[in-house]
Amino acid sequence: MNSIERINAAVSFETPDRVPVIAQIFGHAAVLTGVALGEYVRDGELLARCQIKALEHYGYDAVFAVMDVNVETEAVGSALEYRVDNYPFVKSYALSEITDLDSLSVPDPYDAGRMPELLKAVTILRREVGDEVLVVGCVLGPITLATQLLGIKKALYLAIDKPESFDRLLDFSTDVIIRFGTAQIEAGAHLPIVFDPSASPAVIPHQFFREFELTRLTRVFASFKKAGAKANWLHIAGPTDPILPYYPQAGVDIANIDYNADPLAAQQVLPKTCIDGNIKPLSFVEATPEEIASESARLLNLFADRGGYILSSGCEIPPESKPESIAAMVSATR
Amino acid sequence: MSELTINRLLEALLEGNQSLAVVESRKLLENDVKPERIVTEGIESAMTQLDAKCTVEQFNLLEIMLVGRAVMEVMKVLYPTDGSPPDTKGIVVTGALEGDVHDLGKNILRIVLTAKGYRVVDCGTDCPVEKLIDTAAQEAALTIGVSGLITTVIPQVRQVTAILSERGLGHIKVMAGGAALKQATAESLNVDFVAQTAFDGVHYIDQILEVK
Repeated sequence: MNSIERINAAVSFETPDRVPVIAQIFGHAAVLTGVALGEYVRDGELLARCQIKALEHYGYDAVFAVMDVNVETEAVGSALEYRVDNYPFVKSYALSEITDLDSLSVPDPYDAGRMPELLKAVTILRREVGDEVLVVGCVLGPITLATQLLGIKKALYLAIDKPESFDRLLDFSTDVIIRFGTAQIEAGAHLPIVFDPSASPAVIPHQFFREFELTRLTRVFASFKKAGAKANWLHIAGPTDPILPYYPQAGVDIANIDYNADPLAAQQVLPKTCIDGNIKPLSFVEATPEEIASESARLLNLFADRGGYILSSGCEIPPESKPESIAAMVSATR
Repeated sequence: MSELTINRLLEALLEGNQSLAVVESRKLLENDVKPERIVTEGIESAMTQLDAKCTVEQFNLLEIMLVGRAVMEVMKVLYPTDGSPPDTKGIVVTGALEGDVHDLGKNILRIVLTAKGYRVVDCGTDCPVEKLIDTAAQEAALTIGVSGLITTVIPQVRQVTAILSERGLGHIKVMAGGAALKQATAESLNVDFVAQTAFDGVHYIDQILEVK
């Protein structure tokens, strides 16, 4: 089996030749290749080159066209500050007040901010790996983009003080996400992962997720499937146990779980959904390769009878992680 | 009368209803209820109830932000000069170290600590270790709270305790928290405590006071 066939088998609960392994490597690909992170996140060609080198080095099952969490907000109008060895951050948000929302328009992914560079990375990666290895693009989830357009504090207070305005902001965010993700699929991504940290139960109560986020995520995933996504992959960090039951309804095929979610509880509430995770991200910096191998073996064992599993970290593998620890996770599936 | 109204204030705070909380606290002041009593029986009581509700599994920022916003508005009514009581249990210096620009978690800690009677001196984000330590020395701080959402600040976190000792400030306790740092142990970060939530951090600081 090649990587795509292997992942397809895991998603459809068939038996793969081995458990797929996906290292969530974004900035680490730059560090591994000796490239400044500040350059990596701005240059699609460079990003693709680093991702291919990391793939050759580790031999896992997916590559990522992921820059950082600020691509969409920058394209809409936020100003970022770029740093040499770190991810950029928002200096001023696209919206200073919610009343400015009518002045914003959905950005053209082929023209706005770094979106064209990300599409370039997707195209190069797909050209390089074809249908052998999964090419993963990236969009934010609606609530996370809303918090990136207005700032998280203002956005969350808006949700309580003026829910109808927050609804409009979420609808706008959803339109941005669908347009950008669809363009990534057209450019060659097998799927865009939906990264939605602000929808975590650590940030909002699960009832709030159900009322504000679920219908939008459903719309996003339906659009991606229609555009040709191989599968729908949702990534929400933190203790996600209370919101996992909503995932099938949203159209999720692969559910990422973080280190502080319970794999057995996830198996129970998601009997037909592929799960990926959940090695503690910091352990790739702090733990020994032997400890990573042992944790990988524990997880593989937990999912051995059930299947529907991709071995992975709970969240991004930090850029400064030890290569030998990442290699230990990959080796555990061989 | 005042007891009834303090209960109303307590309910308004727990609902995160800032305008009602402000109205109720003004009523209390008009009825000659002392600000200290409003803090103890209203605000601290609300924080204790919120604390009991916010276990590690059930902790969410939104709920705490709502209660916190109401608390801070009431504090402004009670203490119009600077929004905090003249007497404090102790001073906590907070900051996110160089390279880390995230401040929401740190701001939540500030609100919870303020509501529990501590004074917080915030060094902001992207803060050099030396500035954090200088501030702690100047303020005669009880504790330094270091927040980190990204793992790359860990080498700086590890320096804090050592520099404090070198400068004869080893009595100042160091606490770490935030999405990246809470994955580590206190031993590996070379700090006194790693807080899983803001309330977890406040419990630790309360314990320091009890020991003193």
